[in-house]
Amino acid sequence: MTAATEAPARPVRARASRLAPPLSFLRLLRIELRHNAMPWLLPLIAALFWFDSYRPSTGQASLYVLRTFWNMGQGHTIIDFGPWVAGVAAWMGSRDGRRRTADLVTGTARPRWTAQLATWAATAIWAVAAYLVFTGVMFAVYASQGVQGQPPWWWVAVGATAVAAFSAAGFAVGVFWPSRFAAPLAAFGGFLALIMSSQTGFHDSTGWALILPTNSNGNFQPDSGLLYPWLPDLPIARIMLLAGIAIAALGLLGLRARGDGPWLRWLAVAVTAAGVAAAGTAVGLATTARLSADGIVIPALHDAASDRPFSYTPVCDQAAGIPVCLSPYYGRWLPEVTAALGPVFSEMAGLPGAPVRATQVGTVYNSDDGGGQSMTIGGRPVVLSLSLGALALSDADGRATVDADGRATVLAEQLRLLAVHAFVGAGNDVGTSAQQAVQAALLQDAGVPLAAQPRLLTTSGLPSWAQAGNGPPGPATGPVYAEARRLAALPPAARHAWLAAHLTALRSGQLTLGLAATTANPAAKRAHR
Amino acid sequence: MTTADTREPLPGAGPAWPAERRAVTALRLPWLYLVSRRAPAALGLLAGLAVLLWSSLYWHWSISGGRPAQQFISLTIESAAAAVIAVTTYGPFGEPERSTGRWLPYLRLGAAAALTAIAYGALAAGATGGALPGGTGAMLRNLAGITGIGLLSAAAVGGAFGWTGPLAYLLVTEVALTGNPTTPWVWPARPPDDLGGALCAALLFAAGTAAIALFGARDSGRHSAPE
Repeated sequence: MTAATEAPARPVRARASRLAPPLSFLRLLRIELRHNAMPWLLPLIAALFWFDSYRPSTGQASLYVLRTFWNMGQGHTIIDFGPWVAGVAAWMGSRDGRRRTADLVTGTARPRWTAQLATWAATAIWAVAAYLVFTGVMFAVYASQGVQGQPPWWWVAVGATAVAAFSAAGFAVGVFWPSRFAAPLAAFGGFLALIMSSQTGFHDSTGWALILPTNSNGNFQPDSGLLYPWLPDLPIARIMLLAGIAIAALGLLGLRARGDGPWLRWLAVAVTAAGVAAAGTAVGLATTARLSADGIVIPALHDAASDRPFSYTPVCDQAAGIPVCLSPYYGRWLPEVTAALGPVFSEMAGLPGAPVRATQVGTVYNSDDGGGQSMTIGGRPVVLSLSLGALALSDADGRATVDADGRATVLAEQLRLLAVHAFVGAGNDVGTSAQQAVQAALLQDAGVPLAAQPRLLTTSGLPSWAQAGNGPPGPATGPVYAEARRLAALPPAARHAWLAAHLTALRSGQLTLGLAATTANPAAKRAHR
Repeated sequence: MTTADTREPLPGAGPAWPAERRAVTALRLPWLYLVSRRAPAALGLLAGLAVLLWSSLYWHWSISGGRPAQQFISLTIESAAAAVIAVTTYGPFGEPERSTGRWLPYLRLGAAAALTAIAYGALAAGATGGALPGGTGAMLRNLAGITGIGLLSAAAVGGAFGWTGPLAYLLVTEVALTGNPTTPWVWPARPPDDLGGALCAALLFAAGTAAIALFGARDSGRHSAPE
């Protein structure tokens, strides 16, 4: 016997005994972090993240809301991470079962549930950290490219929570089915769930489906982070759902853990119930969601302070002598906007209800209304309210959107169409036949040939009225275009005089197609009599 | 007496084994190989995937978009079947098996080919639930090509992680299908009778089965899989 064993045992200090469990958990976590499979897959995930999330977004205009709609709004960052994380977590969760060491480790001092949580935490830490790093790098690249607006931080938080939820769900699959097939089952199951979630999102713009993590309906508004803040309501609800799923999955592990005491099982029951309650509450909250001018509002989560639009000093220019003012974020498109609206304002000049100013307003994306938004003309003095967010803005390199006929003037023609549509009083509707005919004639004069107008009406970003009753693009024929041709053939002064005389009747919908033709053409008028 | 003498039946030895006993003995090695690769569980999963495909077609779980996008659910199921086949290549015995298993390359080749054929049969049965986009011809092309990717992944990174190749290809295809890909390597976007796509898929299947037959999955004793 040595002297060392003869020394009296030192009592463990109270502070040290309190710190021992957390410290031993941290040691276990450190070991799990070093032996985790997740880092091995990160290079592959990084390559896919670049290919799937970053690369397609670079074709969008240099605004955060447009750049990130693909990867955050439609959830491609989650699709790039979630299945992999679920698969690796299932592999880690199935480790003890695959290696037949479950009985061995059950006999250790540490509760089984705690040890499993350490393994899961290591996987989740690697995955969430990688998600945040990859997303941060992507945003840094965007910033270096001069992308404008506020980044969608709330949606980054949703993505990080989704990654954690996938890790927890995948881990539970591995624990409950310790097989070599657990990893592919979790990975492909997760992938199928995500694409089905996207699919449901394409169909359902309201109700419980809004809670689905890759549902892109209404979550990104065209001017979020530009003219008004990102609303946190829907992100908070989704975080609640995903966190609830993660907590419930981890709680289930405790219910199954062998050798743990009864109090741990009761704790596991409580944790599972809390997770289910959080997820259920989130679904319930989503059913109360409604679309506002700034995005999806959930009354129980909504903060009215989030509704305040950003204050800014507009950038202005003149279009045919009329000031056109935009948000500074849209300043790079100001020359295109003024060049597009100039011919339209020239036609409107001197007519009743012609705008004396054009000002940008926020756009609301409503998939039930085709995703676009009509312009309005009104007020005193008369102002044209421009909504640009949904239109075919040129991309970061200044490349204009090209339609199916190869025309690169889509943005200008959309602006002219929406301005003229508002001027003839058609509102948020396709308008009467007479209004359509006058609209077509004015567009022709503003530089949009009649032959190109059917195609223009089908371009993306316009409200649903653009395609209502027009069907697929075809030749500009029929009574509306015939009358438009007659109106467009009039001398400018005669057409101006006709418009001055009939605009009120046209806007009120009292002018019929035949009346417009006969009134416009004295010869036809005599024949009509 | 020398060891050569033992080749002759000893005096008084019993009669030769009956034919059925010999057949059972001959099948014992493939059966043990398949069990060690969890082939029965794989068959169960393939049957489950076939039921899933049938359900998706019968209840019209369609994806919005054009023709390529509409085949996405079936493509996911086909990729999952390929991943299951790839994961069966994981062997637990490693070096002892490789040093003594004279028939191992044939067993690997036979198992991969047989499971692929069974997967195709099961999914073709599942396709009777409705109109499969592209038909069973496109399904055979997709399954074979992605299985080849899975087998190559297993040979490169290990059988346990053989599912990573099919999942990576699926993600790449998911992006490509939203555009207008022209390369035949994205064969799901090509028409069912496209020769280029079929050749690419066949080439990958041949490469995958050859790699797995000759070299086996990477973790078969040469390198341990991650935890």
